[in-house]
Amino acid sequence: MVYTTSIFAATREVKGLVTSDGDNLPLIGASVFVSTDDLKKINHQKESIGVMTAIDGSFIINVPDGITRIYCSYLGHNQKEIKLGKETFYNIHLEPSSYELDNIVVTGYQNIERRKLTSAISKVKITDELIGNTHSIDQVLAGQIAGLSAVTSTGAPGAPVKIRIRGTSSINGTQDPLWVLDGLPLEGTDIPKMEELQDIDNIYNTSIAGINPNDIEDITVLKDAAATAIYGARAANGVIVITTKSGKKGKTQVSFSTKLSYTPNVNIDRLNLLNSDEKVQLEMDLLQSDYTYREEKGGVSQILQQYGQMEAFKNGGFNAISSDAQAAINRLRNTTTDWNDILFRDAFNQEYNLSISGGSDRATYYTSLGYYTEKGNVIGVDASRFNFTGKTTYKVNKHLKFGASVFANQMKNNSFLTDADSFSSPTYYSRRANPYQLVYDENHNYVYDDNVQGKGDDRNADFNIFEERANTSHENTSQSFKSLFDVELKINSMFKLTSQVGLQVDKSTIEKIADKDSYSIRKDKLRSIVNGASYLPDGGFHKQTDTESSQVTWKAMGEFRKNIRNEHEIEAMLGTEIRKTWYKSLYDAAYGYDRKTMQSKPILFPEESHSSMFPLSTISETENAYVSGFATFSYSFRHRYTLGASIRFDGSDLFGVDKKYRYLPLYSVSGLWRISSESFMNGIEWIDNLAIRASYGLQGNIDKNTSPKILGKYENRTILPGTTEEVISISSPPNEKLRWEKTHSSNIGFDFSVLNNRINLTGDYYFRKGVDLIGTQMLPLETGFSSTTINWASMKNQGVELSLNTHNIKMKNFDWHTTFNIAYNQNKILEISTPETQLTPSLRGYAVGSIFAYPFGGLDSEGYPLFITSAGNKVSAEEYFNIKTTENGSYASNLSVEERRNRYKYAGTTEPVWTGGFFNTFRIKRFEIGINCIFNLGHVVQTSPSYSPTLFDRGMNTNRDILNRWTPTNTNTVFPTLMPDDKRRADYYAYESLYVDRYLDLWVKKADYMRLQSIRVGYRLPESVLNIFKMTSGTISLEGRNLLVWAADYTNYLDPETMGNEYAQPIPKSVTLTLNLNF
Amino acid sequence: MKKLTSILLIISLLVTTGCDNFLDITPTGRVIPETAQDYRKLMTEAYYLMPSSRGLTAFISDEIDMTSKNLDSYDKDTFLDLWLWNNVNPSGSTTYFDWEKYYKMIFIANTVIENEKSITNGTEAEINQIVGEAYMMRAYNHFILVNLYALPYNSETATSSTGIPLKLNSSMDEVLKPSSIAEVYASVLSDIDNAEKKLNVETWETGLNYRFNTLSVDALRSRVYLYMGRWEDCYNASERVLSKKNELVDLVSGRTLPNAYNSSESIVALEMNMTSTYNNVDKLVPKALYNLYLPGTQDQRARKFYKTEVGGYSLIKGGSSEYRCSFRVGEIYLNAAEAALKNHHPEICKTLLLKLLEKRYQTAAYTQAEIDINAMDDDALLDEVYLQRQLELSYEGHRWFDIRRMEKEKRPVLTREYEGQTYRIEDNYPELTIKIPDEAKEANPYL
Repeated sequence: MVYTTSIFAATREVKGLVTSDGDNLPLIGASVFVSTDDLKKINHQKESIGVMTAIDGSFIINVPDGITRIYCSYLGHNQKEIKLGKETFYNIHLEPSSYELDNIVVTGYQNIERRKLTSAISKVKITDELIGNTHSIDQVLAGQIAGLSAVTSTGAPGAPVKIRIRGTSSINGTQDPLWVLDGLPLEGTDIPKMEELQDIDNIYNTSIAGINPNDIEDITVLKDAAATAIYGARAANGVIVITTKSGKKGKTQVSFSTKLSYTPNVNIDRLNLLNSDEKVQLEMDLLQSDYTYREEKGGVSQILQQYGQMEAFKNGGFNAISSDAQAAINRLRNTTTDWNDILFRDAFNQEYNLSISGGSDRATYYTSLGYYTEKGNVIGVDASRFNFTGKTTYKVNKHLKFGASVFANQMKNNSFLTDADSFSSPTYYSRRANPYQLVYDENHNYVYDDNVQGKGDDRNADFNIFEERANTSHENTSQSFKSLFDVELKINSMFKLTSQVGLQVDKSTIEKIADKDSYSIRKDKLRSIVNGASYLPDGGFHKQTDTESSQVTWKAMGEFRKNIRNEHEIEAMLGTEIRKTWYKSLYDAAYGYDRKTMQSKPILFPEESHSSMFPLSTISETENAYVSGFATFSYSFRHRYTLGASIRFDGSDLFGVDKKYRYLPLYSVSGLWRISSESFMNGIEWIDNLAIRASYGLQGNIDKNTSPKILGKYENRTILPGTTEEVISISSPPNEKLRWEKTHSSNIGFDFSVLNNRINLTGDYYFRKGVDLIGTQMLPLETGFSSTTINWASMKNQGVELSLNTHNIKMKNFDWHTTFNIAYNQNKILEISTPETQLTPSLRGYAVGSIFAYPFGGLDSEGYPLFITSAGNKVSAEEYFNIKTTENGSYASNLSVEERRNRYKYAGTTEPVWTGGFFNTFRIKRFEIGINCIFNLGHVVQTSPSYSPTLFDRGMNTNRDILNRWTPTNTNTVFPTLMPDDKRRADYYAYESLYVDRYLDLWVKKADYMRLQSIRVGYRLPESVLNIFKMTSGTISLEGRNLLVWAADYTNYLDPETMGNEYAQPIPKSVTLTLNLNF
Repeated sequence: MKKLTSILLIISLLVTTGCDNFLDITPTGRVIPETAQDYRKLMTEAYYLMPSSRGLTAFISDEIDMTSKNLDSYDKDTFLDLWLWNNVNPSGSTTYFDWEKYYKMIFIANTVIENEKSITNGTEAEINQIVGEAYMMRAYNHFILVNLYALPYNSETATSSTGIPLKLNSSMDEVLKPSSIAEVYASVLSDIDNAEKKLNVETWETGLNYRFNTLSVDALRSRVYLYMGRWEDCYNASERVLSKKNELVDLVSGRTLPNAYNSSESIVALEMNMTSTYNNVDKLVPKALYNLYLPGTQDQRARKFYKTEVGGYSLIKGGSSEYRCSFRVGEIYLNAAEAALKNHHPEICKTLLLKLLEKRYQTAAYTQAEIDINAMDDDALLDEVYLQRQLELSYEGHRWFDIRRMEKEKRPVLTREYEGQTYRIEDNYPELTIKIPDEAKEANPYL
């Protein structure tokens, strides 16, 4: 009966109006309340007193005597404390919380209140400022989140971004995170390997690229096992949850935005390519030297051969040859083709978005349209995207709610045919073609480049890149359709049932056409010569690949929530999910094709065996099914202690696998201690929040393509004429030993906010250990196979992530926010099975991206590289690799495998050790200035040598390092001499056959860089302008992207990020003008 | 609350019971072999994998001429370095001898042998036949490999000379060291013995006659013993074949070539010795080889095996699957003849040779040959046997191996004249042995 006194405690009425600080509009449904702690202090019998604001933002609340403050909160705004004085009316302005953290975190399965969050989760609100000049959501994430690294693959239109969360977790399996759109885990988001991406021939449309960033409300990144365990096996690399915008109750809002951006042509001066004069001089010098490799190649050599002056030149030099030949060589010197200028261009991109949203008590809606078109810097390459999004929610009654959304898009990439094994990629070609090579002759006929060669072989088909661009096309059209249907049934305040059906269909068509006059078809014709003539019909080709992948996911969940006396909070969820995916592809080829008539001709194969070289039609189909059950549980005591747990069983259709291996339980446990809510912290006013989190979880993965039995595929084969039989072909060996790959993850973190949330600091330490990692191992060919999948390694990742948000200056006309995040990751392989045949060192004890190289000790007196032995002596390749003649007169290294491995020294890792970003936003009156920097530090890259000392091909262009090569007159250099094949044969063998020059540590470069990712100036239109057009708000902004980059050393390369591949398109610089209007 | 619990319970029950059925998807087109029919399909795939390396040896022996002016760049890239014996820095697209496929066939054979007892749904005879073929395949492939990549068999050094790895199980774990040549031959012979116990099909219908049959047991023995120099064994094995099948194609009157898959001589029509790409080399038949045949139409083989073109000859007896041939009656005659001679029965040798020539020569030429051969001494007769092997079995993957096992003084000198330069085989093929492919060496340090 202690409380009885307070029953009669007097109350007073407090009135007020709540508005949003940004636009001064009233906030409807904001809650105004007295805190529980305050009530307790005065021994009030109620645990809570609170009201909601009405449609005009007004409220009336009865406050017990003794209470001196009330609180006001609204979603998306900072909670505010209002000290009560003598007044009875209070105007409360709530500040939008774009910089602070929201109170609800969406994990895709659950919405968790941030105060109960026990796991490592980061959330980014997607604003116009953040999107800037990017066109796809993966590009937006770069540098935003501690522990998430985003590396742009190339500067080509639509190029995907390689995203890694907390380092590399699997060595061979997919390393891409799982993407979830409004609760639906997306299919088709794995991006191909970097090497494939950097080939312009491969144009990709991932399903991420199809989502319009302007439709996205926020993104939540789930980093530790406690957060991801609920997603099961697919979440081993982290989860990125996309929440899209939805309509809000209130008047209809119309938003329009447009972006116009300009990307200037790449300046290739950094590449230091030889000009015509230098190239001609080099060729002449080489012809008089004893270096004879590909002597017949190059313009000078061709002229000398044509005039029959080769011998004269070799003996007597330039003055000894005929005046005709001299004149021709001089003409060559003065002919210049600026490949960069004629193959590349300035590009201009446009984007338009329109969205309409709004809602009533019963229903809300959000509809948007988006169109974007991008011209590549390569002439002939462009991309476009068209988006439609529709989202509605219906509230049938207070128990039942429905939601439906549709996301549809079409993407198109246009290019021309280039191919990996020749020089027909424009980026590659522009850097290897001779500066004096002509495109057209005086009669405007194509001039074929006969110095161009496919991968070192001597097969030659007429090639001219302008002809190729004009006469071929490569089109990738993809349509994607995702739709979601949600139901929520609130039985009472404790029980809730939700269910979601998601459908995703992605279709893509890749069409490749080559006309009769093109290198592409000439190459096919070369492959099909029988008795002196190609059996392919006259004309071009048309090849088309259609793929369709689709999934249906259904999930149902029951949630239980109970709050006992505001002391014990219990939440539990039980759910199930079933999923089925289909994949189908169809390839179709026609030869003798003519674009005008759209007709093709049959191929008359001289023999059945040839038909496999030119398949005309291929079909493949896969179907997979998954069933999962999952549960989560969370208990909080007095808002201070929270315990969480989750478990999930994943089952899938593993063919040929024992049923007991179908399910592996994945689970996590986690806890939270909110120190700031403890009574001993009561006096410390300046601390708003201090909490410590800890979690542990187990994740796992299995290789679906491995079976303990022989797993075969039906095929048809013809051995003898006229008899075709069905066979079972085996592509991978049976494997009884393969186990689940398991990852144990632990995380400890803290959240700390002080001075009214002006300073927020979040830190996490994680330790992740992967055991039984699945990898590929080379097999001796005597097994009949070249490789198999094994549990070959265990690896740990540990790291620290820090994220600091500060609101440095907060004045009426000047405002300054800073966000700084930094992550340190250390990766180490603990165990690894190294095949006894492996010639490179074992990775045990090193990071997965480690590079090993031979220590370079300068050049000897003949310009041959020297190697530093472990004893510190400098020796030749012959000695370093102990190269001896064999009984058949050739050469071989007499080192054992072990010794070969020990010749390498550790030279660094390719994965950045430190990653992060630094973002500053200033608001000065109506102007907003944003400066974003991102950095990646502590990694190295293995670049290719500028030229090979034994296989330098004088038919092609190269950078100026060749001019600085060792010669008897230029001995102070690190660039080796060009080695003739009849001199120092053992050394020659080392460079020509073992390619030892490629692995010199001379070519391993530091790859640290910091990039000024974006600098942006925005201007909010003043009311006077807004009123004229009846707008509620409007901004106009100018952004420069990738304008500057600071890096350790990237001589001869355009950008430190693409150093590994000198032929990749660099990350483009751009300037964008953006206009955002809201009505 | 109770209501809800029961709803959840029902849902989860439904889900878990439905699960296993839902997950039981047999992927379209994928299979785990269990039945005899499945294992037959597996064996067919193994046969299909059979490389043409035996035929490719034509390029390093004296059966190919690449000096034609019309040689296209593809042929230059693919074969020229092989033909010039350049195995130090050949062009990247040079065709080379196979390794992995031979062992992949052996893997399938081992799988079949190991699973003999668990094969379902087949008659005993059917299963025995499949297993017998697997033994034959293992024997034949090891035999080809040891002859490609190791020294020729020599009874004195066979136990100490390095052969090739013997793969006698389907394990993926071991890294094999090469066995000695003697061990490889012993294993080959033992596999043939095992095959003999299982095989029961004497003749496969045309179209399926790439498969091993009961006749092939002795046909293979005949060749193995010939290469080993066990003349009596060779002769006996050959005779056992000939006692069941001895019909030779009559080239004078007939149209089918003896090495065609549907010829009456065919025993096993497996290897495509001259693939269409090999065959495409412009005017590949050396004039020297063509001139060894009797001039004009006297030797029908010259007319039927080769086509005369302007400035040279191209090949008719190869270039398509129609001419798949691993064993045929003609070879057995020649094996028997050589074995008889070396076992000091020249008269048997003469009879066998003449039986063959009767079907190859015009009557007048045959009459002359009868006189000539019967007058020959042993040495001349041996030359004649070698010559007839060269002429009869040309482009069927025999010549290289015959040269290797010839007495040193009888071996032809292998040289090439190309663009003014002279190339000699000794420089890069010591002891006439092919280097093991680099990718095999990279994967197994013991090679």
